[in-house]
Amino acid sequence: MRNIIHTLNTLLPIFYGITFLFYLLNYIYDKRELSLGKRLSLFITILIHFFYLLIRTIEFNHTPITTVFEIMTLLAFAITISYYIIELVTDVRNTGAFILFLPLIFQTVSSFNIKDLVEVKDILRSPYLGVHVFTALTGYAGITFSAIYGLLYLLLYKQIKSQKFGLIFNRMPNLELLEYLSLVSALVGFLMLTIAIVIGFIWLPQAFTEPSYFDPKLVATIIIWLFYAFGIFGRWIFKWSGRKIVYLSLTGFVITLFSMSILNLIFTGFHKFF
Amino acid sequence: MNIIAVAINHHTAPIELREALYLQENEIREFIKDFQSNLTKEICILSTCNRTEIYCIPNSVDLTYKEIQDFLLRKKPVENISPSNFRNYFSCGAVNHLFHIAAGIDSLVIGDQQILGQVKDAFTIASEENSIGTYLQKVFQSALKVGKRVKTETELFEGPSSISAAAVQLAGKIFSDLKKKKVLVIGAGETSRLTLQNLKQKEVKNITITNRTLSRAEELAKEFNANVIPFIEFKDMLHEFDIIISATSSPEPLVIKSDIEQVMSRRKNQPLCILDIAIPRDFDPSVKDIENVFYNDIDALQIIVNQNLERRQSQIPKIKKIIMEELIELFSWYNSLQISPVIRALREQFEQIRLQEYEFFKNKFSPEQQQNLELLTKRIINKLLHNPTVYLRKSADTLDSQGDLNLRLNIIKEMFNIQNQISNNDE
Repeated sequence: MRNIIHTLNTLLPIFYGITFLFYLLNYIYDKRELSLGKRLSLFITILIHFFYLLIRTIEFNHTPITTVFEIMTLLAFAITISYYIIELVTDVRNTGAFILFLPLIFQTVSSFNIKDLVEVKDILRSPYLGVHVFTALTGYAGITFSAIYGLLYLLLYKQIKSQKFGLIFNRMPNLELLEYLSLVSALVGFLMLTIAIVIGFIWLPQAFTEPSYFDPKLVATIIIWLFYAFGIFGRWIFKWSGRKIVYLSLTGFVITLFSMSILNLIFTGFHKFF
Repeated sequence: MNIIAVAINHHTAPIELREALYLQENEIREFIKDFQSNLTKEICILSTCNRTEIYCIPNSVDLTYKEIQDFLLRKKPVENISPSNFRNYFSCGAVNHLFHIAAGIDSLVIGDQQILGQVKDAFTIASEENSIGTYLQKVFQSALKVGKRVKTETELFEGPSSISAAAVQLAGKIFSDLKKKKVLVIGAGETSRLTLQNLKQKEVKNITITNRTLSRAEELAKEFNANVIPFIEFKDMLHEFDIIISATSSPEPLVIKSDIEQVMSRRKNQPLCILDIAIPRDFDPSVKDIENVFYNDIDALQIIVNQNLERRQSQIPKIKKIIMEELIELFSWYNSLQISPVIRALREQFEQIRLQEYEFFKNKFSPEQQQNLELLTKRIINKLLHNPTVYLRKSADTLDSQGDLNLRLNIIKEMFNIQNQISNNDE
């Protein structure tokens, strides 16, 4: 079983690389073979990754959420499957190259550093933690998707306005759809973050004797949550749309990226208390 | 293949001549009836606003291009026409020309989507008139196959090829569902009509037309099931529309920047697409500086058209390859039609000889031995004929020249004296 896990661990970055390459080439060259190839490659990668996560959980008897590198492989899977669902639902097939580089990076980093962990603290086997991590990951994935679709919106907006009809114009869907995708991703991200925060607050006193509510990551997450709440409120009440809402999404993403990068550089654990 | 084609099209004749020689469906049917009884076994006529082309398999080798041209001119008398306005094709050349038409690369605008349907209509009319036989049926079916392959295997038909189509494509890059958008068309000229056709193709339902001369707007609105608003009122209603397409011949701009600023404030800054395809322009170009206003004039749309035409041109080598593949397949089929009777006659003759000899000698053998004798002689004949049969079939697939194939077939016919047998089989 471990041999299979190790082989899949080595193969996964290669599969993600091939899938990303297919999407990139198909973005540049509009060929039928590439279009078929990329979807098949994505589907196979998802299946292999799912199988990998499944046998890893069975073999090591815990969900892969106990180390940063376990979480990275889960995050890669979450982003990929979310993208696959978006592609199926909207039939927008040309944005993959802008998104699938993320799981490629996460999975590569994870594959190089992940360890075979059998013994983990009991606290990490809590179902609360599973839901907390899953919702937090999906929340951040949603925020990232929102920013990417927002960025594509701005690029297309600029091309149409400046009457320079390049690759973005030819390959991207329309502005309205990009704005919608950005908005829905932000909403899903916000909802998931809300659940993650609520569960965290419920679970924290149960799991730790002296929890700190001023943990930097917790504070940063709340600030991010408030920022998105402000954007969604503006959209709902003042009907903000177009570039205004897209700029908000991008700003939110930059704040998230900046705060999380700094916090992860300073603190080794997930939270101050853990 | 003894197929002849006489063509008059945009390469050879000006529009006046092409219009004068255009044949309506009833005229095509009449032409086929008269022409077929006199001069041909099979005939099919393709007549569109850009071409009138006659494809036929003549009754005799004496039928000339001139006779076909004269017949057409008797039916449709036209002045000032000369032989140089016609282009004539024979055999492979005629088929190749038809395949180019069906592929959409012989049209006035390369990648014309209508032409394949027109070739299909020509084929249907000829079939209904029973003027299509084995040969033309196969030729036209192959032409339709070429058209379908070009549609599915290349990008020839993708993207707009006219300003009005580019305008609609651009609007589709801003809004996700054009069907639900409100569109205003300013002007009721030919450009507006073409744009309305493109909008209808995209199933846009909510269209309003305005024009200085109200009656022309009403006429157009009736044709495209659209609404009409008086010209003097349209500025007050601009905020209601998501897409504005303007194509008037006004010498002065109709709408200035401050008008659109007011419109945007009334629209609560919702996106507005303005497509100004008038020369001189109907909108002050500075409206494009307003947030969420997507203003594009005819020059911008021309960039999109040129990009698409370039892409279409780049597809031509791929299309020529498809045409070549279908030509090879068609002529292999045609060659096999000529080879099959020869192979059949050859086998019949060998079988006759075998039977004669078998009957002559069979009484010298016991009944049990007779069975073996029959088996033995059959095996010898089959082995003797195996190589010649394979050789002939291969010739049909590989020989480039029709003359080479005929020469080989004639040698075999004479060598084995099977000419009469082939004629009897044909009867």
